[in-house]
Amino acid sequence: MSINVFEKRAMMGAVGAVVVSLGLIAYATWGLGINLPTCIPLGSKPFEQASVTKQDAKTYEVHYVARMWAFEPSVLHVPTGSTLNIYAVTKDVTHGLEIAGTNVNLMVVPGAVANGTVHFSKPGIYTILCHEYCGRGHQNMNARIEVSDSITDYSVEGLPGSEGQKLMDAKGCLACHSVDGTPGVGPTFKGVWGSTVPLADGTTRNFDAAFFVQKVQHPDTMNVKDFAPVMPTIPLTDDETAQIEAYLEGLQK
Amino acid sequence: MELQKNLQRIILAELLVPLALFIFGAYHGVLQTMYLSGVVRANSVAGIDYYQGLTAHGVINALVLTTFFAVALGYVIVSQALKSKLSEAGATISLVLMLGGAVLAAAMIFAGKASVLYTFYPPLMAHPLFYVGLVLFVVGSWVPLWTWIPVYVRWRKEHPGQKTPMGVVGIFSTFIVWQMATLPVAAEVILQLIPWSLGWTTGVNVMLSRTLFWFFGHPLVYFWLLPTYVMYYTVLPKISGGKLFSDFAGRFTFMGLILLSCPLGLHHQFADPGISTTNKGIQGVLTLLVVIPSLMTAFTIAATLEYSSRKRGGKGLFGWWSKLPYFEADSWLFPYLFCGLVIFIAGGITGIVNASYALNNVIHNTSWVPAHFHLTVGGPIFLGILGGSLYIISGLLKKPVAGKMAALVPYVWMIGTFTFSTGLFMGGLKGVPRRTNLGLTYMNPTSPMYRPDWFLAAHLGMIGGSIMGLAVLIFFIVLIRSLLAKADPALANVPFVFPTSEPLHDEDVPAVRNFAPWVLAGCLLCAAAYYLPLHDIIKNGSSAAPGFRPDNPTAVKTN
Repeated sequence: MSINVFEKRAMMGAVGAVVVSLGLIAYATWGLGINLPTCIPLGSKPFEQASVTKQDAKTYEVHYVARMWAFEPSVLHVPTGSTLNIYAVTKDVTHGLEIAGTNVNLMVVPGAVANGTVHFSKPGIYTILCHEYCGRGHQNMNARIEVSDSITDYSVEGLPGSEGQKLMDAKGCLACHSVDGTPGVGPTFKGVWGSTVPLADGTTRNFDAAFFVQKVQHPDTMNVKDFAPVMPTIPLTDDETAQIEAYLEGLQK
Repeated sequence: MELQKNLQRIILAELLVPLALFIFGAYHGVLQTMYLSGVVRANSVAGIDYYQGLTAHGVINALVLTTFFAVALGYVIVSQALKSKLSEAGATISLVLMLGGAVLAAAMIFAGKASVLYTFYPPLMAHPLFYVGLVLFVVGSWVPLWTWIPVYVRWRKEHPGQKTPMGVVGIFSTFIVWQMATLPVAAEVILQLIPWSLGWTTGVNVMLSRTLFWFFGHPLVYFWLLPTYVMYYTVLPKISGGKLFSDFAGRFTFMGLILLSCPLGLHHQFADPGISTTNKGIQGVLTLLVVIPSLMTAFTIAATLEYSSRKRGGKGLFGWWSKLPYFEADSWLFPYLFCGLVIFIAGGITGIVNASYALNNVIHNTSWVPAHFHLTVGGPIFLGILGGSLYIISGLLKKPVAGKMAALVPYVWMIGTFTFSTGLFMGGLKGVPRRTNLGLTYMNPTSPMYRPDWFLAAHLGMIGGSIMGLAVLIFFIVLIRSLLAKADPALANVPFVFPTSEPLHDEDVPAVRNFAPWVLAGCLLCAAAYYLPLHDIIKNGSSAAPGFRPDNPTAVKTN
């Protein structure tokens, strides 16, 4: 028995649907120039530090560094009409880098460099969010790009600065504690030195050198109110402790 | 012929144990929609962390429940269709390995040692026993096919010139796809992750492990789908009161999926670095080819239902739709399969969006993705599993089923999934990330990260999730009532028979009557599609990624 005539037509219809879909995809890719991220061979764009470089009047190359659980730079200001060539790497696990409302949607995988391009024709605040589960603080991991008519060049916040900050970054502190007031897995360090800290048991403590040392050496004690008691033990030498204390003191302004 | 007694017991265990675990999977599914809408703003509820529960939800629902059902259905269909005794030793070994593996993996998840989600992407590192549990589970699921093959070969010798029964074609396709797909992921887990999690190696090549995972991860969805397809091609025509419209369509679909299931996993890595757009494009085209067997199935099933309906007195161009057994106590299995088909239309179309190359930039890793797969694995697949499990359990135990109440479940579920997915689709287009505890930040009005524009999407998701939970609750009431009821004495000596239909058009197309050429072509296609990307990844990739625990941003120390 041969194949039913309606079935033959259905089969041709299915093949036709696939051909039309592939044609539309080809048009989007080559006609409209919308493509996927491609392979950047390792060695061509190696970087470990976040940075912004101006390429011409309206084009910037931005190097993002993703880590548990923040992006560097955390805030980037650019003028309306800017084009950003974005490269991203991760210091630890796999992260995502999605600029909501744009076509930039990248996986940031250890051992590879992610790349995407975005053009901002309208002013506004664009959220960069991590959309790949990267551990306990995943839902806190975001950054933003502020696109504005009133500026003529870029400026940037959240790049590593002093020795103390580099040390805290290296020790992993900054993964949970921000220094600019952004909420994280742990409390922010902005203005924390000398402040009164509410504890989970209802009491309060003054944030001073003694409190800091106690918290670093015995992180399971004196848990801060409204934060999960998840801080790991971080071994610090006396020198390192002093450097970080100096840095934290400077953050109160 | 009655199924072997010992096999009956094994099949019952394979259906009931995962259903018991599924109670947690469903509970946490509903709970997740509450975290996501900000109704729950916490790291954990009742001692289970959000990401820990999400891992359990994925492993139990998508891996344990689906695989056990495929194995159980396979035993019922192969033994019945080939009228042959099957190896009880093989079935026992398979059950012990699968149960042992599932229990080990679940124990690690509930102990909080494996909150790495069911995709377990490194460098997030779980406890070694989590990976060992997964390996035992998968190896256990390989055993049944190995024991069925000699039985089938003997059957072919004893029945020269006869067509292999459709159910056997479907079940064998299911497990051939599974065998092909699980080899690379087994390699990932055994060669990369287990030594690394034990501290024997200091790093993994993450791109390689992702690629091996997705070689498995997409055919996995066809492995979920195929048992339901088996029921569409054998059970559905029978219980709707007619015959399968086209025998050829079924065989073509099953063979087509053997050919095309594997060489297309890269479409899950469209956003990955380290893979060229050419290689992504090739597998993107192959992905779209799967549309052909799917649309053939859509046509054949619609034509089958029309034939059944006209036999029942259905008339007119569209009027015949009114004559199907939508809500009849005796045909309660029909709505499970029918609602699954309706949901699958939306699931299929949104899947084409995901696979359409650069469109992926808009929806990759957003809540669009879970919205889509809750219309596939949470649609025809899940309803097929619920309906099929209830049918086999009550059939083997000769227990009555509360038909009307059972028939209600798929409709409630369908309303729930459509509501849930509408919310998550809307959110996905706005950039809402998937697998994220939104209630702590993005959906928390007291957080500076709060996104009020996501409110409607998130709350639709929660309303849908609650309706899905209600459907599951009704299902368990039906199942428990059945289990507690007295066995029907009238059925005591009537063997349990899984309904199987005759074909209406029995076309003779020899090309779809042998597995071997399709398996061979499938393997060659895999080799062709994966040679270049794997070559690039191994050549360019770094094997140096150390492990991280999900709760600690400093790397795990290895000796």
